[in-house]
Amino acid sequence: MKTHRMGAVAIFVAALAVLTGCTNPVTNSEPTVTVTDAWVRAVPDLAEGDMTGVFMTIANSGTEDVYVTGGTDTTGLTETPLEAHEVVADASGEMVMQLAEGGILVPAGGSVQLMPGGFHIMYWNLTKPIAVGDTITLTLNLSDGTTIDVNAIAMTLDGGTEKYVPANGGMEH
Amino acid sequence: MASDTGPHKAISRRDLFFGAGVALGSAAIAASGTAAISNSVLAGKPTAIGTNVEPFFGPNQAGIRTAAQAHGVFAAYTLNDTATVDTVRGVMRVATIEASRLCAGEPGLSDTDPTIATVPARLTITFGFGHGLFDKLGLGSRKPEGFVQLPSFGIDELRPEFSGGDLLIQIGSDDPITLSHAHRHMTRVISSIGNPHYSQRGFARASGSVNPDETPRNLMGFKDGTENPRNDESFDEQVWAGVDSGWFAGGTQLVIRRIAMKLDPWDRLGPGDKEAAFGRQMVSGAPLTGENEFDEPDFGARNPSGLTVIPDFSHIRRAHTGDPTHRFLRRPFNYDDGFAEDGTANVGLIFAAYTTDIERRFLPVQKRLAEFDLLNVWTVPIGSSEFVIPPGVPAGGYIGQQLFDS
Repeated sequence: MKTHRMGAVAIFVAALAVLTGCTNPVTNSEPTVTVTDAWVRAVPDLAEGDMTGVFMTIANSGTEDVYVTGGTDTTGLTETPLEAHEVVADASGEMVMQLAEGGILVPAGGSVQLMPGGFHIMYWNLTKPIAVGDTITLTLNLSDGTTIDVNAIAMTLDGGTEKYVPANGGMEH
Repeated sequence: MASDTGPHKAISRRDLFFGAGVALGSAAIAASGTAAISNSVLAGKPTAIGTNVEPFFGPNQAGIRTAAQAHGVFAAYTLNDTATVDTVRGVMRVATIEASRLCAGEPGLSDTDPTIATVPARLTITFGFGHGLFDKLGLGSRKPEGFVQLPSFGIDELRPEFSGGDLLIQIGSDDPITLSHAHRHMTRVISSIGNPHYSQRGFARASGSVNPDETPRNLMGFKDGTENPRNDESFDEQVWAGVDSGWFAGGTQLVIRRIAMKLDPWDRLGPGDKEAAFGRQMVSGAPLTGENEFDEPDFGARNPSGLTVIPDFSHIRRAHTGDPTHRFLRRPFNYDDGFAEDGTANVGLIFAAYTTDIERRFLPVQKRLAEFDLLNVWTVPIGSSEFVIPPGVPAGGYIGQQLFDS
């Protein structure tokens, strides 16, 4: 699935809504999904790896479950679409990270915490380092077709070194 | 599942702190403290001591005017050789966010132990910049006036492991687990620019065990801090840098001296000898020429045999220069690290003095004490550091921004 296309569609719909003044629930001006406490693992030196994770609390005040399906970097750090990831134990009990199938659930009337060792938004193929204290910007794609802008401050994190396992297993030998 | 952990609980606890908790905290302690505390214990709720919050943001950093907490730590770090103004600025942005969250009773964003981050117990986190920070970042010319390194004194037996330091994080809390967690978390937060140099842990009275307005006693049994500033006017005069101080306005300068006490020989003295060494009475804290703690000492008064009532060699006589500007805030913690190798008590004072100007206001007193003070027989300075404490910032700002962004 091309997640960045969904974002574009949502932006288009939003623009249309503003132009026509319509109150389509998709573009409700009172968003039901909100993000707080967002931060990203700093990568001061790309030689140590060109990937990172973004963490946050996502709350859903609406009556429908929503999934975070992915996102887009708007900082100019990577061209690669951002992925919604989970960390799970594999057959041997080792903790590995992988694409969250269907996205990350933000339950109706509840919230989900993205944190090291758990759900996170994955950045691949960083083209620039991220220094401690930098603020990066990204857009999350939601399963209801809306998007949400996020500012995340970069912090030091040791750990979070779970092995990546592609969901289709295609990259494994 | 994940939605049932973290955020919901954190929010409800936070509501408690900022709602009933704070009201309970300040009012209960001041008025009928014991009744309120035992009631809340019986109700199975956090006590006022645990939920008390000290504001992090403001014109001055917290942890200085703040009444001394039961536990304190002075943690000093050595700046990496690769640190620059940009990397330090970035870390101070993050450190300010994390410190302000912890002081409000919220886990830090990157907190690895959020379960022990929700009992603030008057937590304060105060940042300081040492000579090394200014020098390594090429900011030597930005040091505030009077921020000098203390000369070495004849009485000093300084150890490098208790001296110096480029970056200071001073933490205080009435709860030792909160203190330990904040110390560890902040050390992680700044780890990209600095490595641990020293960590000096100290203590005062447990919260609620004495009237907080009472002058605290040191481990020699004497009141320490009788001459401290106690109102806005005297803090503005002695502690906070004035509006004409450029980026430093609202900041202060800190001298930390680790003073080992030879308590074993001290304990063998009689009360009269101890009082002569201090120049004050043990019980009341009054000068030997007075009745009450806050009576002005009369250094000219003589006894029938013609000697001054307050001996010329006594601590308060030597500390008194006669210049009214030579005053500063003392906010020390005690330490007790068990026995030294020779079996004597390894105890003493982490002396902390806050002044607008170390050179003009602190050094003259320190010089007189180093030249002669009978107390020097039982006390030995074994550590010494100076730090600039930058001004406070409003919410959204970061500590150090007046220096780094101007």
